[in-house]
Formats: sequence, structure tokens, C-alpha cells
Amino acid sequence: MERRKFLGLGAGAAALFALPAGLMAENYRKTLPALWKVKNDEKHADDEKGVNEAIKTLFGSDKTEEGKVHLKAPAIAENGAVVPVSFKAEGAKRIALFQSADPEAAVAVFDIPEKAIPDYSVRIKMQQTGHVVVVAEIDGKLYKADKVVKVTVGGCGG
Amino acid sequence: MRIKAKAKGDYTEVKVMFKHPMLSYREAKKKGKKADFITYVTATVDNEKVLEVSTSQFLSKNPYMKFKFKGNAKGKEIVITWVDLLGKTKTGKAKIK
Repeated sequence: MERRKFLGLGAGAAALFALPAGLMAENYRKTLPALWKVKNDEKHADDEKGVNEAIKTLFGSDKTEEGKVHLKAPAIAENGAVVPVSFKAEGAKRIALFQSADPEAAVAVFDIPEKAIPDYSVRIKMQQTGHVVVVAEIDGKLYKADKVVKVTVGGCGG
Repeated sequence: MRIKAKAKGDYTEVKVMFKHPMLSYREAKKKGKKADFITYVTATVDNEKVLEVSTSQFLSKNPYMKFKFKGNAKGKEIVITWVDLLGKTKTGKAKIK
């Protein structure tokens, strides 16, 4: 019984390893629940401590370099419920999007399949002015782009 | 789910909008509902993955995404699937123009 169990496990593990990396699904909600719980300091949305902690939780390091990641976000967003954000990073294996304005820091993690072009646009929610941060993993190194988006609450300026 | 997929020379561009409330924990609490947002999206063409993303409650309501993949996939079908926090799932398909 024990032996059979062991053999079964071995075959399963072998099958898993035999899968090409591109076919291995990674749902970070399941594999890394801690990532989505990393809190921002909502009273100090200019503080990137939460964002840096989330980067470390995902990538294992928060040591980042400048360049190679292009981030487009509005300087002023009139409606914090819909903030358009675009980013690209040639050669990236993973790209993750964070912000420092909401209760938690992580917004999205893109695993880049072989066929994909790492160039994305999404729309995000920001409850207040804060940083939008994109980190891309390229050749084992982390590159970061950071932009402040000013959110005018309720359209009455501020 | 609304999908617009267009081949553009040597790559293909996809724009998609999902119909989903994307209720964050706080928004849900205010409304007396359960938090509910899309957590994972994949897209495939010819069974090959072209998009894979894990998402949080901070994507806007009825989330919009634009993405690209290599190759001119004109005439082929793109299949996009999401899963949300409550385990609900939806798949949309469109022919690439």
C-alpha cells in the first residue's frame, strides 16, 4: 500500500515536471494567498511600504532597477473608479501591477506565455491619490516603473 | 463578455470587457453582500495560452483589458475564461478579424 502510494506520487511528480513551463497554470490567488493580503498604509498613501512588501512577497526580493518597463497612467484621474493604466516590458517573464492608494497593494500579476507580447492595458480603482507601480521580471532581474496618480474625489477637485 | 480581436500584421490585438461587479471587500460590506471579483483570467488560441493573469478587487467594475500576442491569427478563434472569488466561471469566444 505504502509502496503503491509512493509510486503513484512519483509518476504524478514526473508528469508535472515533464510539462513545458508555458503550460503550467499559475493562479496566484491559489498559490500565493499572502500576496493579496499585503496592506497599504491608507492614511499615508504616498508611502510605498505595502507595495514593496507585496513585491517581495511575489518575487522574493524588492531590489529593483530603473528602466525597461514603460508605464502609462494619467497624472490626474477625475474618476478613481476607472483609472486607465498601460504598461509594457519587452522580454518580461512576469509583470505585476500594484498601487499604494487602496487597502491592499496587489492589483494583478501577469504570467507571460511564450506566445504573448508583454504589453497590457487595464482599468483600475484608486480610492485616493497614490502611486501606481509596475514591476517586470526580465532575465531574472526586476525592473520597476512608478507614477503618482492624483485622484480628484467626487469631481470637486482637491 | 465583449471581445474584439484583430490581427494587425505580425501580431494580434485583443480588447475584452467582462461583465462583473468587482465588489471589493469594503464595497461588499457596505452593500451587505459577499466580496466578489474576478481572480484569474486566461485566453487561448489553438489551445495555446496567450494570456494568463491573476487579479484583485482593484480592477474596475466591468473590467477592461487589452493584450497582444505574436502572430497573425486572423480567422482563428480566441477563447477567454475567467474565474471569480465565489468560484463562478465564464467563457467567451470570438473570431479574430
